[in-house]
This record gives sequence, structure tokens and C-alpha cells, in this order.
Amino acid sequence: MSDLVIETTGLRKEFRSLRGGLRVAVHNLDLAVPAGGVHGFLGPNGSGKTTTIRMLLGLARPTRGTMKLFGQPVPRHLPQVIGRVGAVVESPKFSPNFTGRRNLQLLAGAIGAPAGRVDAAIETVKLIGREKDRYKSYSLGMKQRLAIAATLLKQPDLLILDEPTNGLDPAGIREIRETIRDLGDSGVTVLLSSHILAEVQQVCTSATIIGNGRLLASGTVDELLGMGTSYRVSVPDPTAAAHVLARAGFAPAAIDGELHVDADRPADLTRVLGEAGIWLTELTPLRADLEAYFLQLTEGEQLGQDAEEAVA
Amino acid sequence: MTRLLRVELTRLLSRRAVLVLLVVAVAIPTVIGVATVLNSRPPSPAEIANAERSLEQEMESPWFQKQLAKCEANPGRWGVEPGPDVEQSCAESMGMTIHNYLWWNELQLVEERDSGSGLAVVIVLAILMMLAGTTFAGHDWASGSVSNQLLFEPRRPLVWAAKAVVVTAVTGVFAAVVITAYWLFLGAVARSRDLPVGDGLLLDCLRSGWRGAGVAAAAALAGYGLTMLFRSTVAALGILLASSVAGGVVLAVVGIGSVWNPGLNVAAVILDGATYWADVQCPGEAALPGETCSVERTLPLGRALWFLGVGLVLFATASVASFQRRDVP
Repeated sequence: MSDLVIETTGLRKEFRSLRGGLRVAVHNLDLAVPAGGVHGFLGPNGSGKTTTIRMLLGLARPTRGTMKLFGQPVPRHLPQVIGRVGAVVESPKFSPNFTGRRNLQLLAGAIGAPAGRVDAAIETVKLIGREKDRYKSYSLGMKQRLAIAATLLKQPDLLILDEPTNGLDPAGIREIRETIRDLGDSGVTVLLSSHILAEVQQVCTSATIIGNGRLLASGTVDELLGMGTSYRVSVPDPTAAAHVLARAGFAPAAIDGELHVDADRPADLTRVLGEAGIWLTELTPLRADLEAYFLQLTEGEQLGQDAEEAVA
Repeated sequence: MTRLLRVELTRLLSRRAVLVLLVVAVAIPTVIGVATVLNSRPPSPAEIANAERSLEQEMESPWFQKQLAKCEANPGRWGVEPGPDVEQSCAESMGMTIHNYLWWNELQLVEERDSGSGLAVVIVLAILMMLAGTTFAGHDWASGSVSNQLLFEPRRPLVWAAKAVVVTAVTGVFAAVVITAYWLFLGAVARSRDLPVGDGLLLDCLRSGWRGAGVAAAAALAGYGLTMLFRSTVAALGILLASSVAGGVVLAVVGIGSVWNPGLNVAAVILDGATYWADVQCPGEAALPGETCSVERTLPLGRALWFLGVGLVLFATASVASFQRRDVP
């Protein structure tokens, strides 16, 4: 059995308008989420994150490609694995005139979960005292918490959370992030879809970055931070060092008497300069956060079209 | 499936709009029943005395005496047989009976069943149950909770079926209880007035009512199916309204016979057969080629059930297929 919890191959989703227009929300996406930990699913608005999640959960049909959850092809075998998957997709969706508890009871009833699990889920998301109020009277943060409570009814092995901190106050955001981290530490695999880079960097152990429905990068957060990083190179003779680096295929830029060079591995820079007899006095990485890398990857993307809008 | 049925039953009976419709479905038949009983109650001695007084005054009037004299002189022209009772016959032919001054119709279960309040109750229940089925499904789509439900049970045909079974069963049983209570009430009133209810008459009325309950359940299923197809209560109701208004006109314009009219088929189910007029080639050698004559025919219960049943199955199949294939928002 595969140790990948989520696996997509050549996943594609097209939306056709009545006028014959065609829009591709997801382009041949290969996604691999290993078991355990928190995996970030990062991309700007309209990049196809939600559409991908909706296809994985059987809410939307892929135009092409294959998908697997826990090694089982979906949507064909979705009924066999859905009991292990908890998910919040886009905004929480419950019956507005029912209480929070009644909404959870109905969902728990559908899977035969014991009544005690409803109480436990309410307690976990700290909705005690408001669970008997109508859902429509809840704040957005409370609605998000109820949605997370619903995912906990299944005691899932995989949790898919689509922008779970939307609308939460800072304290709520911190609580949710702690909950996500705890779940990841406890062995639950969490796929956290987000466009908040700091969130992914803080919470996730690995991440996949997509843009315009295409895979841009994937790996552990450490690997992603190391990829394509720029370095500040300090040497006694910057002009000579620039010539050497340029001959070796790098593109050094002289800024304030120093060189800024993009490199996948810093060792390549030291080796090239050392072989030329130029000794470094300082080598400092300039990009140490995911945000810079993310912006570099998604630079020039068309953000105006929201892929999810077409589904709604 | 049992779990799903239980959940959907709870969901249906927790919907405020559905509960309001069920309350209305009790209230309106109650009002119809009470009005029917009051309108058919036997006249009191005071009312009879009053009517007799009015009748006497009218019979003593010069106008009536003049007309009576004309009738007695030439009864044939008034459609009255000559004889010793010609005066009374002439008076009756001119409407001079006490019944015309009492404004009272005796309670007759046969009439109530075939064209009276019994039929009205079935129609009202069918409309209300259809609304219940529509609003039940429409609320799930409007709130978006369908997608949440599918995250817990992704087998869409099963979800569709569970909701359909609950809607059909609840509305069918509810309508049957209301209609049974309605006919038992009318039967008890008729019995208390020494009116005929024996020889299986009441049972016939109950059977007709139960078939009507079946029609109400089918209407609820149709409303539910249509809403699942169009994913909107407003769209479903709009289509139902448009088809009920324009359906008959379209059938007539296209030239489709009455036998295909859904309304006639529904009537045939409720009434155990319904009569209609059909255009056929006129009989006899004198008839011109292509000349048509209208003849009265009967649409039997079995054929109406087949027609409506096949239509409902086809419609439900389209609704399930749509729910199965289309993306859920």
C-alpha cells in the first residue's frame, strides 16, 4: 500500500460556459501528500486549490486524470475511505435554522457516530454554551469552529481544511493553528489549503505550491525555502568574482559593492569562487521566508479569474 | 440506509416551513369539513317556519296567481301533465317548493366524494405536500448543506433515495391520516343525521381518499425531484406553476388527446376512473369522411396509474442522474 495519503496524476478540470467558452481551473496537476504531518496547499486566490479539493472529495468531477485517497482510487472508492476524511471546503455550510448541536447530530447520525462524539467535538472547538443557538446567529468564527467540529465527528486520519482561519479573530486563528499542529503531531495527516504564507510556514512540515491550476513546487518547507534562494556574496574583488560566476552560469548583480547571486545550493558558489582563487569573506542567504519564494513562483499570474467562482 | 432514513426524517420534521405546511394541511381540511357540515345541517323549526311563511307570501302574490292560472289552463306548455294534481304540479314547476326557500343541501357522501369537498381536500393536500417536498430539498441547496451531507455520505443516489423515501412516506401517511379523519368525520355526521352511509359507501369514500393520499405523496415526490433537478425552490415552483397554467393549452394546441392530460389521469386515480370526451369518426354511412363526433369515454384507474407512474419514474430517473453527475456547489 502507498504511503501517500493523497495522490493525483494528470488531474484536470475544465469549466465550459453556455456560450461555448472554456476555462481550465486545474492543469494536469500531480499532487502527492505523504502520510503524517501538516501539508500546506498554497496558491493565490483562483489558483485551483478549492477545485482540486472538491474533486478529491467527490463534489466535482474531474475532466481528466486520476486521484487516490489512502491508495484507493476516487471517486469510485470514495465511500470506502470517506469515513477517514474530515473536510471543510470553502465557507461552512449548515442549515441556518438548526442549532449548532442539531447540525452536528444530523451529520453524526449519517455515519452512526455515538452521541458523545458530538459533545466532544463541541468541547474541542470551544462552542460550549452556544451549541444550542441557531447556526444563523453564529459569528463567522463560530461557524468555522462548528465546521471543524463536524470534521472531528469522524475521528479522521486525513483532515482537509480549506482556508480554515478565514474570519477568525487573532485568538481564534492561534487556537486553530495550534489545533492543526496538535492534530498533525497526533498522526493525523492535515492538508491545509491557504493563501496565507506565514500560516503555512508556521504550521506545515511540507507544502505544494500551485498557480493557475499548475504545480509550481512541492517538498518540505525546508526544501522549498532552500530552493532558488538568493545570496549576498562578499569578496575582496567583486568585479573579478562577478566574471568568474558569470562564466560558471550564474547571474551575479552588483549592488552597493556586493554581489547578489541566485543559487540552488550555496556550496556551488563557494566551489566556483574557490577554484578561481577568490576567497569569500561573507555568504548570506537573502530569502529566508516562503513568501519571497511564493511571490517569485507566482509572479505574473492572472489573479483576476477565480477558479472557484465558476463552481458556485 | 436505515441511518440515512432516520437522519432525513429528523431533518424533514425539523424544518419549520415543512411543519407550517403540515399544520396548514390540517387546518384547511378542518375548515372545509366544518363548512360542509354547517352548510348541510338540517334546517331548524324556526327556519322551516320562516321558509313556509315566505312561500305562502309568494304564492299569494298576484303575479304568481296569474302565472298559476295560465299553467292550469294550458299545462302542456309548462311541461306539466294534466290531472287532479295540476295545481300542485304547476306550483312546483315554477319553483314554489319549501326547499327553494331553505337554502340547504342535504349532506350526500357520494357528491362530496365525486365533485365536492372530498375532492377539494385531496387537491389542497396534494398542493401542500408538493410544497413540502419542494421546500425540503430547496433548503438544502439554498444553505449549501448538500455538500456537507455528501462529505459524510458520498453515494449520491443513496442520499437522493433516502430523502425521496422520507418525503414520500411522511407526506403519504400524513395525507392518508388527514383524509381518513375527514371522511370518518363526515360519515359520523351523516350517521347522526340518519343519512345513508351503509352498503360500503363510507368505505368507498375512504378508498377514494387513500388514493388521493397517494396522489399527494406522488406530488411531494415530484416537487422534491424537480427541486433536486433545478436546485432551487423558486425555479421548481415557477416551472410547476407555468406547466399547470400553460400545460392544458399546450396539449390542446398540439392536439394531444385528453387521455394524456395529467389532470384527467389524476382525477381517474382519485375517482376510480374518469369520463372524458374524445373526437372520433362519426358513425353511419351518412357521415362525411373526416367528420368527427364527440363521444364520452372512460379512463380507467389502471391506465391512469400506469401513465402517472411511468411519468414519475422517468422524472425521478432524470433527477437522480442529474444529482449524480453534476458538480455540487
